[in-house]
Amino acid sequence: MSGEPSIFFSDVNERQGSFLRRTFVFGGLTALGVTALVGRLAQLQVVQAQEYATLSSQNQFNFRLVPPPRGLIKDRNGVVIAGNRPSFRVLVIRDETKDLDQTLDLLGRLLPDTLERRRAIIREVNASPKFNPVPVKSDLTWEEFAKVNQYANELPGVMADMNEARYYPFGGAFAHVIGYVAKVSDRDVKAIRDKGETVPPLLFNPGFRIGRQGVEKALDEALRGEPGGNRVEVDARGRVVAEDIGGSRTAVPGKEVVLTLDADVQNRALEVFGEESGGCVVMDVRNGDILCMVSAPSFDPNMFVGGIPSNVYSALRDYERKPLLDKAIGGVFHPGSTFKLTTSLALLEAGVDPDERVVCTGGYRFGSRTFRCWKPGGHGPVNMHDAIKTSCDVYFYHMCNRAGVDKIQEVGKKIGFMQTYDIGVGNQKAGSIPSRAWKANYNKNNPNPDSRTWYPGETLSVAIGQGDVNVTALQLAVTTARFANARKAIMPRLIKSVGGVDQPSGAAVPDLPFPPEHLEIVRQGMVAVANDVGGGAYRQSQLGLGDIKMAGKTGTAQVRNYGTGSRKSADVTWALKDHNLFVAFAPVDEPRYAIAVIIEHGGLGGATAAAPRAREIMRTVLLKDPDMVARMTRPPPPEPTASAETVELEGAAPPTPDVAPIESSRQTREATPPNSGPRPYLSEPR
Amino acid sequence: MTASALSRPGERERVSTKISQIDWRLLALICVVSGTGALMLYSVGGGSWSPWAAKHLIRFGMCVALMLALSMVNIRFWFGLAYPVYGVALLMLALIEVPGLGYTAMGATRWLNLGVTRIQPSEIMKIGVVLALARWYHGASAKEASFHWKLIYPVAIIGLPFLLVAHQPDLGSAMLIGLTGAAIMFMAGLSWKIIAAVGAAAVALIPPYVMFGMHDYQRHRVLTFLNPEADPSGTGYHIMQSKIALGSGGFLGKGFGLGSQSQLEFLPEKHTDFIFAAVSEEFGFVGSFTILACYAAIILISLRIASLSHSHFGRLAASGVTATFAMYVLINGAMVMGLAPVVGVPMPLLSYGGTVMLTVMIGFGLVMATRVHRYAELPKGQGLI
Repeated sequence: MSGEPSIFFSDVNERQGSFLRRTFVFGGLTALGVTALVGRLAQLQVVQAQEYATLSSQNQFNFRLVPPPRGLIKDRNGVVIAGNRPSFRVLVIRDETKDLDQTLDLLGRLLPDTLERRRAIIREVNASPKFNPVPVKSDLTWEEFAKVNQYANELPGVMADMNEARYYPFGGAFAHVIGYVAKVSDRDVKAIRDKGETVPPLLFNPGFRIGRQGVEKALDEALRGEPGGNRVEVDARGRVVAEDIGGSRTAVPGKEVVLTLDADVQNRALEVFGEESGGCVVMDVRNGDILCMVSAPSFDPNMFVGGIPSNVYSALRDYERKPLLDKAIGGVFHPGSTFKLTTSLALLEAGVDPDERVVCTGGYRFGSRTFRCWKPGGHGPVNMHDAIKTSCDVYFYHMCNRAGVDKIQEVGKKIGFMQTYDIGVGNQKAGSIPSRAWKANYNKNNPNPDSRTWYPGETLSVAIGQGDVNVTALQLAVTTARFANARKAIMPRLIKSVGGVDQPSGAAVPDLPFPPEHLEIVRQGMVAVANDVGGGAYRQSQLGLGDIKMAGKTGTAQVRNYGTGSRKSADVTWALKDHNLFVAFAPVDEPRYAIAVIIEHGGLGGATAAAPRAREIMRTVLLKDPDMVARMTRPPPPEPTASAETVELEGAAPPTPDVAPIESSRQTREATPPNSGPRPYLSEPR
Repeated sequence: MTASALSRPGERERVSTKISQIDWRLLALICVVSGTGALMLYSVGGGSWSPWAAKHLIRFGMCVALMLALSMVNIRFWFGLAYPVYGVALLMLALIEVPGLGYTAMGATRWLNLGVTRIQPSEIMKIGVVLALARWYHGASAKEASFHWKLIYPVAIIGLPFLLVAHQPDLGSAMLIGLTGAAIMFMAGLSWKIIAAVGAAAVALIPPYVMFGMHDYQRHRVLTFLNPEADPSGTGYHIMQSKIALGSGGFLGKGFGLGSQSQLEFLPEKHTDFIFAAVSEEFGFVGSFTILACYAAIILISLRIASLSHSHFGRLAASGVTATFAMYVLINGAMVMGLAPVVGVPMPLLSYGGTVMLTVMIGFGLVMATRVHRYAELPKGQGLI
């Protein structure tokens, strides 16, 4: 040590004393700080422990939705017409990717087509909530699926899995009836919110599809099912660490929907339409079951499931034959001469004697105008039966004002026009039949008061189904079924059962408010059209199924003013050709099925385009009915005891059926060679 | 053997005497805390000794050996080395600023490239500042320590490294250096008048500094702390997840290895800055209180050791080191519990990380040396300044 003492008492003691006091204060402050920390710990871990425990388990556990399989839609024979198929898909989870661009680059090497949609994918991924998987490609091939799984380690945030996708095995045949499913859009979500309901979380599940049209839309909630849930333990990155035991709920599959349609008839009907545009409805006359409801041309609803490319959609939308429009229920057409059945009933209701004859000279002068009959030379003297049989316009021109337009509308409404039917699908048109009140209301905003006045000359157009008479194929089928049934106001039924619960049958309905003898006169007229040699569609109505006969009525609806030129449609462009219509029922002696066919711009007359098609569809229907098949294969009774018209027509009918009986739709399909192509349907006996 | 042996100057220098003077309570507490740290690192490592727990234990073992070795060194040696250590540390801090010599990682230049290895001069400076201040105050009178123009020396001793470290930027270390220096000035007897004036100035100047003087990420952290809801998934997320870990631990904890927050990686930096939250989650209030009590005991025992020293240098060096340690604990604790903004200050001894452990254990070596050599007589000299 150096000579100097290290302690100078006066000063050093002062320093030491000060140090001890200050250190005491410092120690106290530190103790205070630690006490404050302990207090905070007590607050968090004792007082608020419960609250944080909840937050912690919310972190730790996640309820993963298990989407339910969508309910199947089947036809009346149990054939699946809307099912689910397994689909491999690739999903991207934004927050698990290190770098979205880089990940998509790598993915693009495995799946080159994702590069084309790259911008759309990035937009979709960025718009999705955190940790929400976004599907970037569906329907991978097995090779692609295997490749993505093989490179899974180099692709963080990318996963490939299998889910169920909606599948419509019959393509366009049912496109309009059952509609299709599509991705949930912002508009869907907004519509639910606008109704004041909460949006089910299922809608946000990737791959969930919502019913967009037809049955898929109308019965969406029944088909959807109840989602299940898996309680899973996740880490901070949202990755599933463990499936939780006990906290899971299984999904309840959607309800099965059975339709009254018959897949074979439906397929054949679409086939028969070929390139023509139009609609066809077949109904069971006894109970109202719709066996066929087709609109042509059609489209493949499977395209909408994965998202339809916009150029394909606009091609469908802009095609002049309007494949997206349901022409069976959503398009209205002038019924043309098929409306004469309704006019006849109205005349009978108004007290017109059906035997009263009108001489048709090929034209009818009313006021300053001459209304022409379709047959230039005229029909000569015709009564009501003949007028229906030959579709004589002059008879109806002459008679219609005895009933008056109001009566025609009243009868038309009662028989089934001007209304929509509760068949479970939307987008139906009601159509129209004018009356004086209807016109006044229709033109109520027109400054010209004359536009609200009904002129008797207009009734002439209405009587032959022109002017403002607009109907749908469904309405035509319903009215035909009622004429055929001739007793009950049969109601159509499309949905047979939902989840095994039968829907009310169309047979439990009141009787028609018409005397049966009036309906019989109209019915006999239809029988004559198809079975009298002079009938409007005699040739085209021969079924070739033994003694099973069809009755019907043709219609040609004008879409342009003929003026003084030709009435023939052969030379004009498609959009100016006449509509062709045909309504029919069969068998004549014990009516079972009614059919209405509309060929949009079919040209010529109802007997040329619509009737042969109706006959072919009707044959398909009849051949699927075991009772009818039994009747055909039964040896002909030695002494015909059937009703008058059968006797009358015996000579004209081919004696034996030329088509083998069909027992079930499945057998049919198996029996048909895969590449046999469409069967010819215009094989008219010449 | 005890204190009587030390009173006989001939006995003092014997190694056996020195060993008997080591504070075993302090050593035991340090071992308890570090052991708990290893245990937690085993748990958050997914029930595995790698990658953290085993290394932590090995480093700790080496640091204990170093601490015991340092405690055998007479504080006169420390006294002589005070200014040189500080000077070298300051030089290295300055060299970092020279382009090419500093090593940059994560946007901060904190390391000095020595060719074979990299060192972090700010860690050496944490000890250096303490030694230099103790050395200066040792030669200063009570008046000079209280209210005197010469106080610009200690202010400069603190201020130079503070500015250099803050410039790196390493706000956590700068804050520790500044606060430790302030604590030493306080314990050395700084006038209350100056304390009041500086306090008032700080209150007035901190808001402008936060707005204009800080780096974006630093300001972001501070603002987030003041309003955590503004940024629930960024910096606020860390605080929130840490609070959830603490709170959900409850009174008794979720059990060893069963903390969902830390095991499932909701807790950020679970092995370093936020390890205290992991302890709290798995061992509950009981466990975290125990650890805090250990820290408090370590601090109070060290201050007691400081106050027993016969030399002013010993007192201030030991208490200064203790102040650094206390700052670490309080800042990290407050941060983990959502009482302070997120700054990169680990929990000493508990957190994984070699540099901080080395610094802290060298510090405890100094404290131990102060205790072992509490009768050592030091020259009065003023030294360099």
